[in-house]
Amino acid sequence: MRSLCFAFQVYLAFAKKSFQRRMQYRVANLAGLTTNFFFLLVHIFVYTAFYAARPAPQPLSLDEIITYFVLCQVSFMLMPFWGTRSEVTSAIKDGSVALQLTKPVDFQAYWFADECGRALYYLLMRGLPTFLISLLFFKVTIPQQPTVFMAFTVSMILAVFMSNAITITIFSSGFWTLDTTGISGMSYSIITLFSGMLVPIALWPEWLAHIARWLPFEGLIDIPFSIYLGKITGIAVWIAIGKQMVWNLFFIGLGRLFLTRGFSRLVIQGG
Amino acid sequence: MHHLSLYFHFVKLRIRSQMEYRLSFIFDVCAQASISVIDFFMIALLFNRFKELAGWSLWEVGFLYGMIGICFAVAEMVGRGFDVFQRNIVRGDFDTVLIRPLGTFFQVFAHEFLLRRLGRIVQALVVFLIANSQLTVAWSLTKVGYLFISLVGGTCFFVGLFVIGATSCFWTVQSIEIINIFTNGGVFMGSYPFSIYRWWFRHFFTFIVPLACVNYFPSLFLLEKIGASGVSAIGVHLAPFAGFLFLGITVLFWRWGVLHYQSTGF
Repeated sequence: MRSLCFAFQVYLAFAKKSFQRRMQYRVANLAGLTTNFFFLLVHIFVYTAFYAARPAPQPLSLDEIITYFVLCQVSFMLMPFWGTRSEVTSAIKDGSVALQLTKPVDFQAYWFADECGRALYYLLMRGLPTFLISLLFFKVTIPQQPTVFMAFTVSMILAVFMSNAITITIFSSGFWTLDTTGISGMSYSIITLFSGMLVPIALWPEWLAHIARWLPFEGLIDIPFSIYLGKITGIAVWIAIGKQMVWNLFFIGLGRLFLTRGFSRLVIQGG
Repeated sequence: MHHLSLYFHFVKLRIRSQMEYRLSFIFDVCAQASISVIDFFMIALLFNRFKELAGWSLWEVGFLYGMIGICFAVAEMVGRGFDVFQRNIVRGDFDTVLIRPLGTFFQVFAHEFLLRRLGRIVQALVVFLIANSQLTVAWSLTKVGYLFISLVGGTCFFVGLFVIGATSCFWTVQSIEIINIFTNGGVFMGSYPFSIYRWWFRHFFTFIVPLACVNYFPSLFLLEKIGASGVSAIGVHLAPFAGFLFLGITVLFWRWGVLHYQSTGF
């Protein structure tokens, strides 16, 4: 028990360092906030015009769409494929992974700790300000029941976890291919498409939405946001969260497998 | 003339070095293309549900999307030197540029050439050609010439943005991320007809950052939508030249910026 407690403290320290490292770039953060707002604004213009052309009832109302994209701008930075690249991702390519291996910590857990610090930073410095300012300018809906909000929070945490589990899996393929730009680019497109980041899955045609439901990526964006908007209710919330958990375990396991296999055949590049 | 042959010599060297990692190159081109394919796929999904956008059909929007996509990808290909200029400043490499007997603008411009943007260019071109085949555009010599000028103007516009981003490094060292609003953001908003934006937004992106001039206005002319849009015809005819003007102004800004250069070198 004591050693477990100690291990937790070690990873907490990593997360804290990762958070502090990012606190250095305050002007860059302000620029990033502006960028987030710009994209949010264009999204809102586009959807407003689409809805104006066809006011017939849609699966999501315009206000709900706006809320969806506000949430998108709040949370996408927390996930490594859409946010800024962290140092860990290049560790395998530039050989600095060797240094990590000399430390008596688990590499995957270290990676998670580092990303948690990053995610917390973006939540506090980027996400929450974006949300609060959006409340002033746009019609953002807020869930009435506290239980909805709780379910959303749990689902969102699982989403951020899964995004990291997926990223680790993708980048540990670098042990075999060295250059991961191709594979990460391909997976980026698939993830961006099937997460519902560009267009909410509710607006998709049936056949494509059906494919999305069988893939893990809706757990990154669409599931948490649908819970927030009250589109998933009752028992379905538990099923959705359960789905996220299963996919989390899957990717953590796969990433672990890749890492152990990779380390056993590791040849350090550069130095 | 000497500059031109020198430029092509540099480009040849760049291409040769990028082709060294052939497999990685092919993967990268495919990845590039796949990212932009889903972009347009999403627009198509929205049209599947909503049918039209402010009087524009899917393929008319595809026309806009293709044009802006080609311009941006070509600009990224040729203007890469300015896009990644901050590392020259951070490392102090710009000192070497200054001691060579060639203009600084030309050297930075000719220094990089990103062949892998080919994937993006092809994707945008394909969307443009499909859109064109679905629409009945009455092509004439004037229109083809006008299209060509618009595409070159649009490319100049984006290169101009990269030049602004690079020039600001003379003061800020690190590149200012805000330029992304105009580059990536420009491609995103340029994929939709400008009439959907609020007036202040439209005016900003016409008169200050002339994005509409190289994309939306030319499409109005080519698709014969000027009458319906309420924009003056003379303005539309002259609009693409705003791209050249914009690049010209940014070159002057660059020259002024170079005077303020202070080395950070080791």
